[in-house]
Amino acid sequence: MDINILLVDDETDFVETLTKRFRIRKIQVASASNGPDALKLLEDQEFDVAILDVRMPGMDGMELLRAIRARHPLTEVIMLTGHASLETGMQGMNLGAYDYVLKPADFDELLDKVRRAAERKALNARAQQAGS
Amino acid sequence: MPGPNRPAASPRRGGGLFSRATGARIWREHRLVLWLHFLVPPLLAALVVAATFASPALAAFLAALVLLLAACSARGLMTSLSSAEEAKNSLTDQLIQSQKLAAVGELSAGIAHEINNPIAIIAQEAQWATHLLDQAASGGGQDFSEVRDSLREIQAQVDRCGNITHKLLDFARKREPVLQEVDVARLVDDMARLVDKEASYKNVTLTRDLPQDLPTLRTDAPLLRQVVLNLMTNALHAVDKGGRISVTAQATDERMDISVTDNGCGIAQENMDKLFNPFFTTKPPGQGTGLGLALCHNLVLGMGGAILVESREGQGATFTVRLPRQPRALA
Repeated sequence: MDINILLVDDETDFVETLTKRFRIRKIQVASASNGPDALKLLEDQEFDVAILDVRMPGMDGMELLRAIRARHPLTEVIMLTGHASLETGMQGMNLGAYDYVLKPADFDELLDKVRRAAERKALNARAQQAGS
Repeated sequence: MPGPNRPAASPRRGGGLFSRATGARIWREHRLVLWLHFLVPPLLAALVVAATFASPALAAFLAALVLLLAACSARGLMTSLSSAEEAKNSLTDQLIQSQKLAAVGELSAGIAHEINNPIAIIAQEAQWATHLLDQAASGGGQDFSEVRDSLREIQAQVDRCGNITHKLLDFARKREPVLQEVDVARLVDDMARLVDKEASYKNVTLTRDLPQDLPTLRTDAPLLRQVVLNLMTNALHAVDKGGRISVTAQATDERMDISVTDNGCGIAQENMDKLFNPFFTTKPPGQGTGLGLALCHNLVLGMGGAILVESREGQGATFTVRLPRQPRALA
C-alpha cells in the first residue's frame, strides 16, 4: 500500500531526518513548518496521515488538528510532542487524533503507527464509498 | 408493592406454603380463591371417579363439566397475568421516560450553567471596554492596554464556550467505529506514558499489569485510547498526593477487560447511577464539564462493550472497560 504523509513541525532538522527515514521505507512525505502552510498543502493534495507537532509558533498543533478534522476528516492525525502534557493529550484524543506520541519516538514504533493510521484511513474511505 | 402501613408478610400457619408460592400480598387478598384452586380439582376428580362406578353417563357429564371449569379458570388466570404484565411494562416505560426527562433537564441545566459563566464575564469585559473607549473619546488617556486586556479576556471566554459546544457535539455525534487489530497492551502502555509525568508531579504511582501474552483485539484504536486516557485522568484527579493507580488488562475467550483502579476518594452511593449522565460532575464549577464519563460510556457502547464501576466512598474505585473479543455486528 502506498502511503503519503504530511509532516508539520517547526524544527526543520527533525523534519529532514524523519523525511529521509520515511522515504527509505517507500513512504511519500511532504512537509510544512507551520499550520497555514500545512493547510495549503492539504487543499492541493490528499494525505493519508498527518503528523503534527503540538507546539508551533502561530497556529499550534491543536488548532491545526481541529482544522484538519473539520476540513479533511479522512486524513488521520498523529500528534507528536516533546512536551508530555496530560491536558493536551486528552484534548488531542478528544478532538479525534489517531494517536498521541511522545518525542523522542522510536522510529519503528512511529512507522507502525503511521501504517495503522493509513490502514484506518483506507477503511474509512472504503466505508464512505460504500455508503454514498 | 405492599401497602406502607400493613405489617410485612405474616401468613398464618397453613397458609405458609401458599404465601411462599404466590407472594404474601396475593395470599392476603385472594385467600379464598387460592384455597378453592387447591381444593376443588381433587374434590371434582374424586367425584368423577365415584360417579364412574355409579353411571358412566353421569361420569362423562361430570368430567365435561370439570374440564369446562378448568378451562374457565385457566382463561381467567391468563387474563389477569397478561394484564399484570401490561401494567408492569407501562410502569417500566413511564420510569424510563421520566429518567430520560430528568437526564434532559440535567443536561440543559448543565449547558446553561457552563455557558452562562463565560457569557457573564464577556458582558462585564465588554462594558468595561466600552467605558474605557468612551473615556478615551472624551479626551482621556490614550492608553488602550486595558481595552486590549478586556478583548483578550473576551476571546478566552469565547474559546471556552466553543470548547463546551465542541465537546457536546462530539458527545452527540455518533462516530462509527473502525475496526482494526489493536495491540491493547501497547495501547494502554502508550496512554499510561502520557499520564506518568503528571502522576509523578502529584507523587502518585501508576502501575501497569499487562500480561505479555495479551491477545490483540479487533476494535477502534483511537476511540479506545480516548476511553483509556479519560479513565486514567479521572483516576489521577480522584487520588490525593501519594495515591496509587493501577491499570490492568486481561482476556478470556469471550472478552477483554481493561481496568483502572485508584485508591482515591471513591464514589458516593447516591452518585453511582448518575455517573454517566452528561454534565454530572462533583468537581467545583468551571473545573469539569461532566462530559468525560458520559462520552466514554457512549464510545464503549458504540464498540459493543460496557463500562463497569465498582466503588465504595472513601475506598477508591475501579472502572472496567469490557469489550467483546468477537465484535458483534455494529450498527
